[in-house]
Amino acid sequence: MIINVKLVGLFQTGRFKQQDREYPIGIKVQDVIDDLQLPQQHFGIVLINGVHADINTLVTAGDHVVIMPVVDGG
Amino acid sequence: MKIETTDPAAEPSAIFYKRCSVDLRSGDMSFADVPCRNFEDVLGGFGRSFQDLAKRQVENAYCDENPLIVNTGLLTGSSVMTALRTYFSGYSPIKGSQAGLPAAMWSTGSGKFGAKFKWTGLDELVFENRSATPIYVLIKETAAGPQVELKPAEHLLGLSTHAKIMALQKEYADAHFAAIGQAGENWQNNYMGSVALSTENQLKSHEDKCRFAGRGGMGSLMGYKNILALVAQSSDKVSKISEAVKKVNINVIKGGGSARIQPLSRGGGGGTWAAYDVLQEFHAVPVNNFRPQGNDLPERLFRANVERDYHIKSEACFRCGITCHNNISEKNADGSRGEFLAKFDYEPLNLLSTNLGIHEAGQAARLIQLTDNYGMDAISLGVTIAYALSYNARHPHQRILNGATFGDYEKIRELVIQAGEGRLPEIGKGSMRLSASLGETAYAYHVKGLEIAAYQPETNPGYAWAIAGGHMSMGTYGLLTREGKSDLESWVKGITEDKLHIVGFDMIGLCKFFDIAKGIGTQMVVDCLKSECNLDVSIEEIRASVRRAFLRGLALELRQGYSKAEFCLPAEVSENPNPNIKLPNITSSEFIEKLEKRVWEIFEPELQGLLD
Repeated sequence: MIINVKLVGLFQTGRFKQQDREYPIGIKVQDVIDDLQLPQQHFGIVLINGVHADINTLVTAGDHVVIMPVVDGG
Repeated sequence: MKIETTDPAAEPSAIFYKRCSVDLRSGDMSFADVPCRNFEDVLGGFGRSFQDLAKRQVENAYCDENPLIVNTGLLTGSSVMTALRTYFSGYSPIKGSQAGLPAAMWSTGSGKFGAKFKWTGLDELVFENRSATPIYVLIKETAAGPQVELKPAEHLLGLSTHAKIMALQKEYADAHFAAIGQAGENWQNNYMGSVALSTENQLKSHEDKCRFAGRGGMGSLMGYKNILALVAQSSDKVSKISEAVKKVNINVIKGGGSARIQPLSRGGGGGTWAAYDVLQEFHAVPVNNFRPQGNDLPERLFRANVERDYHIKSEACFRCGITCHNNISEKNADGSRGEFLAKFDYEPLNLLSTNLGIHEAGQAARLIQLTDNYGMDAISLGVTIAYALSYNARHPHQRILNGATFGDYEKIRELVIQAGEGRLPEIGKGSMRLSASLGETAYAYHVKGLEIAAYQPETNPGYAWAIAGGHMSMGTYGLLTREGKSDLESWVKGITEDKLHIVGFDMIGLCKFFDIAKGIGTQMVVDCLKSECNLDVSIEEIRASVRRAFLRGLALELRQGYSKAEFCLPAEVSENPNPNIKLPNITSSEFIEKLEKRVWEIFEPELQGLLD
């Protein structure tokens, strides 16, 4: 299946900003993170079709997945 | 600190802090080893100072009865990573209730001044009354214990924060410094003066790389007292680091606590500036006085776009491995570093650029640099100017001040300079007073008289219960964006249980980046207190103490005349919801009404007796 993945901030470095990617049916957000080798300690927020999700959320065909690093201010 | 127990929660009076009280009018001073009243006193910072402020009836920040309390935390100056904090407390000139009474306030910063201050042997310095002439205060370590001297400071008048520090460094090569700028000197017309704290980097490079205790106008209070600077002269007391603290420090650097703050070159998140990228995804980066437009304008100040034209270097405070400072300099033609401009942190950057309609990094850096040099709180200044620009946009034929509008760099720069020099009280006295004088308060982005941080209020109803500034005294600013929580229960729990613990850092002497998500009620802090002070404390005791200190702050707000109706977000948020913000609406009147009811039901019974 094809899903659209958008990476934000430091996750773009050496990867891409936004891309359609093919994955097997039944994958979870964590599988996408692993596939892209995103540094786990920076993982902060994931949105699926604009709604907050988590690493165990199932991804389905046509989903728009945004993966962001954690954010804190000061 | 003199510690004669291992159980500070049960026997706080067996722990003594060294206090010096200075009567600035007479020059008299007294030293005392003061027994701690409770665990909050032991931890220090605002946990102690607010108990002393609560004993005073202060109706005007600029009066003899209002002290300026300078203190440290229990771990300040220790070998624990980030243990560099100094606290400035007093009744605030800028934050106040509609009843006209000033609110108790503290402000804090790092740099090396706090450690040097602690190493003189003093834990707290209380300034009473005011000096008739400008002075600076020398705090020095001697064989007989700490000494304090008041010195004439006419030669420092009119100098910037950085220039004052540079002038004093020539006289005290082995010291560190806390200084106000021209804004604090002009306290009558500027209520948002900050206190600059010197850094090792600054003293070595002679570049204006201070840290700041910015919030609440503590620099203006210092100016009112005619104190232009503090000098802490002591030998460095860097002890051999214990295995326990070493383990904690490694965890702070490599663990989750600070990973996001570390430089990109070390695999970190690149500091608080990285918030731009994330918040923009929700169109929640403040633009033009907190009205994001749903476009890509904020992206112009993404780090990736700035580093093409400017040199960025990550640097750190003394002995801190977090390296959170993103210092921006001009880039020479050959790519090497040119003139240093400013440090890009999310708050000052946004509030002095994108939120003013400025999207060019060099202009942003110059405004931050000016603000720092005049010694003003970047948050209060930026938000107040944004209000004025918004007023002018709404009244194109009746503009105020110099007629500045969003994006007009030259005129905005002029406002910063005039405010810094005390020539623009309309800006210098903050957005609450300016908006009230103009009769348009709905889009003045302050809560309880203190301007909010660079997190859209639509994402943070918790601002209402912050006791010393929007984001650093109530950690709910990421509850919606980061954690996706939009239900009432999560917000009640966030405000009344978990997120208030962020204020613990402002007691113990550590920077929030030590472990911003968890606060100080952790095994890491327990281990540090055992190793550094031989104190046996439980996580529960720490958390109980932080909660009491927070609630005392809330009780003090109510005592200073705040009505519950003042615990609210700017009216525009609910009256004119911004459709561009791509997050669930948690600031409708209905949601807020329910939230207020639930939060007060929990807090109110606990406030009884806290100020006795």
